[in-house]
Amino acid sequence: MIRAVIADDEAPAREKLERWVAEQPDMTVVGSSENGLSAAQCIEQLRPDVAFLDVQMPTLSGLQVAAQLEPSSAPLIVFVTAFDEHAVRAFDLNAVDYLLKPYDLDRFARTVQRVRERLDAHESGAIAVAIGRSRAPSCERLLVPDGERLQLIDAASVEWLQADDNYVHVHTAARDYLLRRTLQDLLSQLGEQRFVRIHKSTAVNLGSIGSLTPLFKGDYEIHLHNGRILRLSRRYREALFARMGQ
Amino acid sequence: MNVLSRPPPAGVHTDYGATFPPKTLATLWALWAAFWLLMITVSIEDQLRDPLTRWWEPVLSEGSSALVSTGWMWLAVRVRGRYARYLDKPLIWFGSYLRWLPLVFITWITAVYAIRHGVYAAVGRTYEHPGWGFVVVYESLKLTYFTGLWLGILFGIDSYGQWQLQWRRLLQTQKALAEAQLAQLQGQLRPHFLFNALNTVSALMHTDVARADRLVAALGDLLRISLRSNEHEMTPLAEELHTLELYANVMLERFRDRVTLDWQIDQALLDIPVPALLLQPLLENVFKHGVEPTVAHVRIIVSARHESGSLEIVIGNSGSMLASEHRDGVGFRNCRERLGIIYGNTASLLVRNEGDGVATRVLIPLMDTIQ
Repeated sequence: MIRAVIADDEAPAREKLERWVAEQPDMTVVGSSENGLSAAQCIEQLRPDVAFLDVQMPTLSGLQVAAQLEPSSAPLIVFVTAFDEHAVRAFDLNAVDYLLKPYDLDRFARTVQRVRERLDAHESGAIAVAIGRSRAPSCERLLVPDGERLQLIDAASVEWLQADDNYVHVHTAARDYLLRRTLQDLLSQLGEQRFVRIHKSTAVNLGSIGSLTPLFKGDYEIHLHNGRILRLSRRYREALFARMGQ
Repeated sequence: MNVLSRPPPAGVHTDYGATFPPKTLATLWALWAAFWLLMITVSIEDQLRDPLTRWWEPVLSEGSSALVSTGWMWLAVRVRGRYARYLDKPLIWFGSYLRWLPLVFITWITAVYAIRHGVYAAVGRTYEHPGWGFVVVYESLKLTYFTGLWLGILFGIDSYGQWQLQWRRLLQTQKALAEAQLAQLQGQLRPHFLFNALNTVSALMHTDVARADRLVAALGDLLRISLRSNEHEMTPLAEELHTLELYANVMLERFRDRVTLDWQIDQALLDIPVPALLLQPLLENVFKHGVEPTVAHVRIIVSARHESGSLEIVIGNSGSMLASEHRDGVGFRNCRERLGIIYGNTASLLVRNEGDGVATRVLIPLMDTIQ
């Protein structure tokens, strides 16, 4: 069975999708959300095969939801939108599926067929995630797990990131969060402006660096404003200096 | 559905630097006349104490100066359009005028003394004055001093005129820009509203045909009204509220379970004429900023009542507040402008936080609207 999550803030639109997905013999609706944040939570917890995301929703837009997902594990994403010429153009270029409201059963069937083909080819939602990241101003905020729930934090409040296998420890002044993401992917989402890598498994917010102390053999110690000391490896030294010199 | 198009603003045709507001010229000549009147008066007063001098002698002396000076002043005013582009470079502006000074000296002294000699000769007397060397130096110095003074005044007046014109042009540009933004906004809102409404119909007709039918009819009516109306039209309040209700019905269907809407209308006011399609953009705004971005349930109240000589219409919503750096959008400014055009400053449109939500308050004077 293909497991689907549906998110739309307008009840009639949501019910229409729920009904039509449920009518497919090989599909089932595992979750249904009325806003972006709960949609992200649904996807995180239920790990569906496909997510139908309305573009305009409260809390997080469909594009912002996609932008927060980890590309390799993201579900296939079908964006649903009433009218967004620019978004539609982007989808066209990247051949990610989208539904334009209002759509009829034929058009919906074509979408479902495409979803089946992509799943058979073991494709992920990576393209949709890339589109979301390029189109949504999401790099300023980060979705992090907080117990059973998800919450949004300011990217600026993150002091440093520490990779731990397939997880990343997100350190803020208030507390730490554990994210099931790779450091590489998280950095690509947060963008190059604020964060810089200082070690194979560590990245730091440029704004939280207090001072640098040279060590033996070209390594450095980085002292954060909060007193923590991190190691800067030679490999990333030039890149950091270049960024700090700007 | 906001169909507020307006005629292009009445333009002030100007080629840069060639035109001035007409009042500046009047001011200049009034100052000029006052100056010479004063000069003549002072001179008469001065000569009255001298019994050997007749009354017309000071008048001739100052009058001839005034006549020839006015000729030069007239020329200076004629060419000021050509020099206006140098108003922001005072050295070049003053230089452009001052280079004619030698010519002014020669023509001025020649003309003035010719007139004086002529008039004295005509009455059988001789005009006596110091030697020509002294006259040329003395009059040139005097001319330089007064030319400087009056060029300064001309410069001040022309700079002010140019500033006024440029300011007016800037305002027009800003207005045109706002209109362009409005047109763009409408281009985005209308299709968005329509497509979402159509999608709601497409969802409803699978479950409730009668409701879907009603929704299509409401959409049709709304389209008809928005195509028919123009901003100069007045419509009875009942009619305007009906349009608002059609729009609200579509939106309530879309945001079912998230919104309730209550009407508190004073039935005695239903015949009062109000500007057509004034309220719909305001309710649209409430949905856009108060309902769509909110997860919580929202209560909207539309009320119309008599409030100290005015018709007061309030569209209030619960559950969201204005941001502290809130600025009125183009739609609001447009509504306010329409009210201003129709009612002057006796009508008002205010949006502000009230209680646990936002209230949009329209005040329309009652006396002026009852026809």
